Amino acid sequence: MNAVLQFLASYSNIIDLCLLNSLIGYALFLSLSANMFSLATGGFMALGAYCSVYMTMELGLPFSIATVAGAALAGVSAALIGAPVLRLRGDYFMLATFAFTEVVRVIALNWDSVTGGALGIVNIPRDTQTWHLALVLIAAIYLVHTLRGSYFGRAIAAIKQDEVVAGTMAIDVFKYRLLLFVANGFACGAAGAFAAHLNYFIGPGDFGLLRSVDALSYPILGGLNALFGPIVGAVFTTVLPEVLRFSNQLREILMGGLVVAIVLYLPGGALSVLDFKIGRPRNGKAVAETLRAKP
Amino acid sequence: MSTFMQQVVNGISLGSTYAVFAMGCTLIFGVLNIVNMAQGAFFMGGAYFGLEAANMGLPPLLAFFVALMGGGVLGILADLIVFRTLRARGAHRWMGLVASLALARMMVGVAQEVFGTQVQRYPQNMFQSIAFEVGGVRIQLLQIVIFLVSVVLMALLALTLQRSSVGRAIRTVAFDEDVARIVGVPVGRTTMMTFFLAGALAGASGMLLGNLFNVVSPFMGEQMLIKGLTVIILGGLGNVPGAVAGGFLLGLIEVFSVAYVSSSFRDAIGFGLIFLILLVKPTGLFSRFEERKA
Repeated sequence: MNAVLQFLASYSNIIDLCLLNSLIGYALFLSLSANMFSLATGGFMALGAYCSVYMTMELGLPFSIATVAGAALAGVSAALIGAPVLRLRGDYFMLATFAFTEVVRVIALNWDSVTGGALGIVNIPRDTQTWHLALVLIAAIYLVHTLRGSYFGRAIAAIKQDEVVAGTMAIDVFKYRLLLFVANGFACGAAGAFAAHLNYFIGPGDFGLLRSVDALSYPILGGLNALFGPIVGAVFTTVLPEVLRFSNQLREILMGGLVVAIVLYLPGGALSVLDFKIGRPRNGKAVAETLRAKP
Repeated sequence: MSTFMQQVVNGISLGSTYAVFAMGCTLIFGVLNIVNMAQGAFFMGGAYFGLEAANMGLPPLLAFFVALMGGGVLGILADLIVFRTLRARGAHRWMGLVASLALARMMVGVAQEVFGTQVQRYPQNMFQSIAFEVGGVRIQLLQIVIFLVSVVLMALLALTLQRSSVGRAIRTVAFDEDVARIVGVPVGRTTMMTFFLAGALAGASGMLLGNLFNVVSPFMGEQMLIKGLTVIILGGLGNVPGAVAGGFLLGLIEVFSVAYVSSSFRDAIGFGLIFLILLVKPTGLFSRFEERKA
């Protein structure tokens, strides 16, 4: 028991980071499950982070309210950009979300009185506890699990297979996508609030394109059809840099190489290994078919 | 008035490097329908190839050729190692995006290992020192050369795409890969050629921009990738003439917003514009060229 506690104490930072990134992974899992390749993660996280920090530090509100407010702000902005942009073809959606992230970053860089400009905000109280993150993550997993079995989940699965066919089956593609995108924004906003109160510091550079693409790689690396795919992907990409800490440059090279190898040899994500081994062709085949169907 | 003309000159020389870079991005998108995140790394690689060649004492134009070919070879390697395998496995295009980003990271790491993280500069050459004064507007010879070289590259690309057999093959694959295969176009080789062209354009623009600002660093690619994405939205996805126009437009917008608004809002204006364009006219500002896709 003592050894476990010691282990937790010395690695608590990494554990927090793993939980946080897993949460982001599930947020992206939601949007990817309806073929929405969103690069807005950085923007949503920035909104959640700056909003919550403003509330805790300037207004003196409790952390819980600030987090919910940050998440709500990100959710509302997801609805606002989603409503016009989700009617566009997939690639345009991706580029619009990319533009959104950059606009938010530039605003954060220039709105000195609220965001602290390029210097960012320092001395943020460290309110995020590990159990907060764990609780929210479990809630997110439960939600995703329930969704997958529900009518909603089946509708989403149909949209993923072919949105035109889904539309002919009286599934309101736009409505479902918008709902998922708002949920994605809400979760990313909450993650941003947690991240801000975890690191003592936030700056505009924390929430750029790289953050958005990293977030996408969690569920994609882990496996898009597996419930625990985002966790596997997030833990893998969070822990690996720590393991490779011995050389900064070599770390980047090895990280890149490993990710390329996973993508090349396990195109269904890391968890597709399981399907293969247990000899359940259902998931593996379905992944391959789904992935092939969309050019 | 002379400030205005000065900004026009600066904007055009900056915009021509953006245009060259964005032509590569849009070519890959138009032909292969993937967003290649490693394009910024090719750009950085080209700048270093050119730098090494110039440091070895090669004349600028030869060094430029080295940068161009170096970028092209990087493009071919990326295709052979990553994209070809992914295609063979019938992987989803998101996989290509994730893989190309990882590839870019790897290349930035390699560049840091080989060249160090310090900013490096090109050796002094004659283009930097000579400048003309025309009606209160200062024009560096370097700016003229960059503009001319960019125009030559654009003309070469247009010629290749419109007149050569390779170009016809590329346009057929862009139209439909299966149709291309049916009419006997070697799709694999054509794809490799597309990657070569895109890499070469990225490498060339790396050398051009590296010379214009006289800064080469392993991290220069990431910013440029963002500019490239911006330009291909402005011009319309997969639209080569649109990318050229969008490149010049972005260069001018940036320079003018620095001069007349505020340097810190340089990027905000560009991205705000993209957002508007995506809402109002998502096919890009120049979509009447659409039927000549790539």
